[in-house]
Amino acid sequence: MFRHLTLALALAGAAFAAAPLAAQDGPLRLEITEGVIEPLPYAVPAFVAENSAAQKYATEISRVVASDLSGTGLFREIPASAHIARVTSFDAPVGYADWKAVNAEALITGAVSVSGDRLTVKFRLYDIYSGQQLGEGLQFAATTASWRRMAHKVADAAYSRITGEGAYFDSRVVFVAETGPKNARQKRLAVMDYDGANVQYLTDSSTIVLAPRFSPTGDRVLYTSFETGFPRIKLLNVASVTAQLLPETPGTMTFAPRFSPDGRQVVYSLEQGGNTDIWKMDLNTGQSARLTNTPSIETGPSYSPDGSRIVFESDRSGTQQLYIMSASGGEPTRISFGQGRYGTPVWSPRGDLIAFTKQNEGRFHIGVMRTDGSEERLLTASFLDEGPTWAPNGRVIMFTRETAGAGGEPRLYSVDITGRNLKVVPTAGAASDPAWSPLLP
Amino acid sequence: MASPEKIGITVSAAGHAGVFLWAVLGGWLFQPQPSEPVEMAEVSLMSESEFAAISAAAEAAASRAPVAAPEAPSPPAAPEVPEPEQPPAGQPAESAQATPEPPAPDAQPDAAPDVSEPTPPAAARSEAPPTPPLPPVEEPSATILTEISPRPRPRPAPRVAPTPAEAPEPDAQVSETAEAETRPEPTPEPEPVPEPPREEAAPPEATTEIVTEATETDEAPESSAPLATSRPRPRPARPARPAPQADSPPAETRTAETRTAAAERGKPAAPAREDVVADALAEALASEQAAKPAAGQGRAASGPPMTSGEKDALRLAVQACWNTGSLSSDALQVTVTVRVLMSPDGRPQSNSIEMLGYEGGSQAAARQAYEAARRAIIRCGANGYDLPAEKYDQWDEIEMIFNPTNMRIK
Repeated sequence: MFRHLTLALALAGAAFAAAPLAAQDGPLRLEITEGVIEPLPYAVPAFVAENSAAQKYATEISRVVASDLSGTGLFREIPASAHIARVTSFDAPVGYADWKAVNAEALITGAVSVSGDRLTVKFRLYDIYSGQQLGEGLQFAATTASWRRMAHKVADAAYSRITGEGAYFDSRVVFVAETGPKNARQKRLAVMDYDGANVQYLTDSSTIVLAPRFSPTGDRVLYTSFETGFPRIKLLNVASVTAQLLPETPGTMTFAPRFSPDGRQVVYSLEQGGNTDIWKMDLNTGQSARLTNTPSIETGPSYSPDGSRIVFESDRSGTQQLYIMSASGGEPTRISFGQGRYGTPVWSPRGDLIAFTKQNEGRFHIGVMRTDGSEERLLTASFLDEGPTWAPNGRVIMFTRETAGAGGEPRLYSVDITGRNLKVVPTAGAASDPAWSPLLP
Repeated sequence: MASPEKIGITVSAAGHAGVFLWAVLGGWLFQPQPSEPVEMAEVSLMSESEFAAISAAAEAAASRAPVAAPEAPSPPAAPEVPEPEQPPAGQPAESAQATPEPPAPDAQPDAAPDVSEPTPPAAARSEAPPTPPLPPVEEPSATILTEISPRPRPRPAPRVAPTPAEAPEPDAQVSETAEAETRPEPTPEPEPVPEPPREEAAPPEATTEIVTEATETDEAPESSAPLATSRPRPRPARPARPAPQADSPPAETRTAETRTAAAERGKPAAPAREDVVADALAEALASEQAAKPAAGQGRAASGPPMTSGEKDALRLAVQACWNTGSLSSDALQVTVTVRVLMSPDGRPQSNSIEMLGYEGGSQAAARQAYEAARRAIIRCGANGYDLPAEKYDQWDEIEMIFNPTNMRIK
């Protein structure tokens, strides 16, 4: 008994002695749970021209890099007029204190040299506050004609290194360029850099074209053409700018095509006898197979990035909603349950989200939801927004916005998946139906 | 001699008599005036549809009959309102006397105000028995429905911070820190070098949440009242209390650490009690010895501990620079623990910052999260954190856990 008591007392004493020690021991611990969300300030002084021929590219390239980064809404450029330090040599040590003084958190320095028609761009990225270089410096070489792509590559590398997101600046967008009044509009397929530069036309305006879609390698484009009077799917080779009609059953209309992730198959809508269903076709054999078979309208199919599933819209429940089914067909699962009508679903290249158009209470929205339909978020709201397409990194969405009224015309817009940074993509005239290419090699 | 004394007695007697009389009769003579009875009358409530019917009739009557017709229908709540008392002349009528009727339009100023009486116009209006005909009611519902003030909605701003900054003046430049406008002094003395003119600057405008276009253009103001009440959560099932640990805290309040500690303590439940006590004693003694710094190595913090206010100040200071805006959605899943050694002047030692660990994502994502955390610590500590110098032993080494749960894309 006495032993027990002694032990208990000793135990209590030890506990008392240990408690304050434990409280004071070790470093101070803090949990930071709230931060700020603001663009990261960075500086891009004009790239150093290493020879006289590079002079005209050096400044231009650094401007495109800055335009790419600032255009994401995640970065804010410190204007050159505020710079204290001057970068005159690519290999000179960086004066961190000078950049800190102007509040730059990241610094991109670069150099450009030209020999013949070869353009070489090299750059380094620095974290000013930690006084370190971020990652290794990189060097790109190409012809002088593609100097903008070099700039996009530099911006891509810096963007990925700082944010951790995949790159997307060095990509192209195919879209329908529109001219003329609303009741007699001429439509042509066109392709441009993601930022609206370098527009090239792929078709003439003799026939109406709709809904172009890039192949996973970016070398081919599927679109819907009305050259026979009815909608039919055509496959266009971007390099040779030649197009061919896909084989089809007479008496049917085909539209809304999209490539499978391996580029070998096409999934599309086929209308026959007043009923629209989803079909897929093997591009090598021309064999087609039916994936849905209901009296309702099924359209707008889009593959998941792994090619195992297809999301599409259907009005089988009475209103237009989104459904997911296996890539080989079968019973679909409805994923959209909110107010209003849902259409034009597109699976994110990252596989985590599905972008869609939503029509509710007289307004159109571009939104995203998880692949199970949860966490629906509307990113935009306007008179008419439709047709989302994903940037290659799954962080930005481009879509068509049409203004109201007789003089209303469609324009391309882009928005971050946070719903911030909504902005117009500059195009020469009216434009609609954008489709983003994969990242260029 | 005697006369002054007599006068005094007389005065005293008279005074006392007066007091007695006042005490006895005062209650009867100076009775408090009974307060005027408050007239009460029932006010019947009417529904929106009834009002609409009445106002429609009024509108119809107004459109048919000439405007001057005094028999026009009285306003909705007017019939039951008690006749307001005539206030004494000169006393301004209480605004409460205004009947719930809509104010008479200015187009009928001749609704019989008695010009000779200097009564205020409000009283005159209330005493006019024939209520002037109602003006045509454009939107009956607008008068019935209580106005719902739109919920305050944050303005879109490029910066999202826990505490919103004041919107800058239109002509102010946005700067990192607020600066008052300074102008060169007009004194001609060359001795004090005039400060170079600086433009007035305001801190960057911030909002407390991301405002997307979808939320921004949401036009109909919503009621601030909840649409539905949520069911109260069922009380969690009380866990079976471990018998030998009577003093252990309730399960739901335990932190992870205490839970594991309790689990460890609870382990030797099966062995004999003697063993339990002996083991526990050995463990306690061992930990005590471990905690004691061996001579010449290690160091235990001494002095008073940091107060929670001091810790909060440091946390807020770091938070102000923790910018997650440029982080990928993967990096926003990662909680990183960062260790930093501090100089006595409150500045972090940049080269001492290291990532102790991370959870919730890939190594690449953790690197981005760590770099953002490192930028936060260095940037806001560039001029030294406001830390109590006498407690340097407490904060010479800090572990910060950057948990972005609240900062994720929602």
